[in-house]
Amino acid sequence: MQEHARKLDNKKTVIIGGGPAGLAAAYELSKTGVESIVLEKDQMVGGISKTVNYKNYYFDLGGHRFFTKIEAVENIWKEVLDDNFLHKKRLSRIYYNKKFFNYPIRPLNTLRGLGLWNAFLILISYSYAHLFPAGQEETLEQWVSNRFGKRLYKTFFKTYTEKVWGISCSEIRAEWAAQRIKGLSLVKAVKNALIKPKNSNKKEVIKTLIDSFDYPKLGPGMMWQSMAEIIQGNGSQVCLESEVEAILWNRNNKSIDSVEINVNGQRKLFHGTDFISSMPIRELIQKFKPTVPEGVLKASNHLNYRDFLTVTLIVNKQDVFPDNWIYIHEPDVKLARVQNYKNWSPYMVPDQNKTCLGLEYFCFEGDELWSMPDEELIELGKREMAALGLVQKHDVEDGTVVRMLKAYPVYDSGYRGSLNTVRKFLDGIDNLQLIGRNGMHRYNNMDHSMLTAIYAAENINGANHNLWEINEEPEYHEERAGKSAGELVPDEIIIKSFNRMDKFGFAAAIGTVSGLFIFLATIFLVIKGGEVVGPNLQLLNQYFIGYSVTIKGAFIGMGYSFLWGFLFGWLFAYLRNLFLGFFIYRVKRKVEMLTFRDFLDHF
Amino acid sequence: MNGIKKKEEKLFSGIIRFNAKILGLVLGLLMGLVVFIATNWLVIMGGHTTHDGITVIGPHLSLLRQFFIGYKVTFTGSFIGFAYGFALGTLSGSLIAWIYNKIVDFKS
Repeated sequence: MQEHARKLDNKKTVIIGGGPAGLAAAYELSKTGVESIVLEKDQMVGGISKTVNYKNYYFDLGGHRFFTKIEAVENIWKEVLDDNFLHKKRLSRIYYNKKFFNYPIRPLNTLRGLGLWNAFLILISYSYAHLFPAGQEETLEQWVSNRFGKRLYKTFFKTYTEKVWGISCSEIRAEWAAQRIKGLSLVKAVKNALIKPKNSNKKEVIKTLIDSFDYPKLGPGMMWQSMAEIIQGNGSQVCLESEVEAILWNRNNKSIDSVEINVNGQRKLFHGTDFISSMPIRELIQKFKPTVPEGVLKASNHLNYRDFLTVTLIVNKQDVFPDNWIYIHEPDVKLARVQNYKNWSPYMVPDQNKTCLGLEYFCFEGDELWSMPDEELIELGKREMAALGLVQKHDVEDGTVVRMLKAYPVYDSGYRGSLNTVRKFLDGIDNLQLIGRNGMHRYNNMDHSMLTAIYAAENINGANHNLWEINEEPEYHEERAGKSAGELVPDEIIIKSFNRMDKFGFAAAIGTVSGLFIFLATIFLVIKGGEVVGPNLQLLNQYFIGYSVTIKGAFIGMGYSFLWGFLFGWLFAYLRNLFLGFFIYRVKRKVEMLTFRDFLDHF
Repeated sequence: MNGIKKKEEKLFSGIIRFNAKILGLVLGLLMGLVVFIATNWLVIMGGHTTHDGITVIGPHLSLLRQFFIGYKVTFTGSFIGFAYGFALGTLSGSLIAWIYNKIVDFKS
């Protein structure tokens, strides 16, 4: 025990990145008395989920809802912010073709908005996709079209997705979409379809998560700021404006010695026993000194990111629209999403007679949008909002622009191979762990990013978690508390019960037993004898031509009975397999649709 | 390949095996209950009286006694019928499962 405590005393962890993951790691380490230092290149903590303050208007970059099924993460949120959370009902819609559509999509509302003819065409296209699905699902376009039909895909997925990623949906890997619903276990879905959860139903649980969420009064930044204060209060350090310039590693013993930062032109070295990085992998690799092997460097350069900017407009109107955010599917504007921060939390706007809107544009660093001067971007925002009919230009009284680099790791066709190469190299470095979204080049949400950090901290304290398994295996929408009745049934039992029946085997078994039945019954009556032998069983010869209650008849009856039993057994097994297959297919589609309901939310 | 995919593959590629004891028990209970309920139903319904003044209950079902020795369409007979039905059902169910499993094992 004392030995363990002494070991912990000697530990010092350097954490690169002060986003949710980096801070969570430091927070967890500080609880166990392990000293850490967080190096954040920005002027504030929070990373890609920071909250910016502009003239006392607070705005969140991307809109970060707080909901999780991960108890450890929820506990941290509660510990840090206690009752500073608001519970918000979610309202978000899609703006397309000058109309609003509820999102998550509601069939009736969608049909009303699209009109009868369009709805009919969508239905035809949907049915066609289900009857004749594309054989391969390599791209997002094929993946979505196979499930929703080409027409629905073009209406509700194509434009927005391409705005977000900046590449055609035919170039985005289907794997990305599959990862968004990866938590779906078909076996669990079947189980839940058979056995209703004890106290709640799964649909309700998911519905609740999609339809409402918690949100800090002053945005997520409030959480990160408080967390940083607690970390510092526990004796660790959080250094802002501390961009890591180099990572000094030792090739021989495959470990990191220190990281180098540049503060006001002065070189500073931070030594540590352990290192945790949440910085984008591409940058991390580039900063290694001495340089990493050529192949690893090359692979890291193939990891791409999508950047993002928010044009914030302060509107001189009390109410603009009731939504928390709106997805803009109009192809004529570059705008992809509009946040209404006041509807997230009224505390984010100092004057309740005004509204603060966040216009979100997705771009690549250095492209036309990214390089546009702030004034022009604000003008663009005003123009597009007016074109959409959401805000009049003269109502906008102020605005600002915030650019966010590497907001999304891109899952393009080459990313997996490149990531594997880089991972293989980094896995070989003993005292380095990767966490977070960019740190792992994985589309982790805030809670999963924090979980990677919690596990990394536990690893430093002696645990042996594989961080790459997080957000890979567990269900995203797993039930929050207690075990449902379904969960008490082991998966193996469900799998065994839902396996196919061997048609021939069952047919032969039923045929044999039926044949034996008639044979033994006939022989039994023959042995019993009597004046008239088995007059009633004899009636079978109305169907079994040639049958009689005799020894010879017993064999004939057995033959007939075997044949009919065989046919019955085969048909039974065939129908059982068919209906079971249909049941499983229905369950799979239903749960896919259910999870896909909030698909756009994950961008 | 992750655990979920493995489970799905097992779900789709596996062939069901029967538990002979359970199938026997289920089929036994079913057959026993069919005989038991059918007998008592006729007992409750009462039957009909012939020209000779004799009350006949369930003349067709009582043909079962050719195979089920001791069976009658009476309340007591329903228990005897249940026992025979149960025995026959158990035997048939177990035999079906055994033959089926043997064939599946042989094929795989």
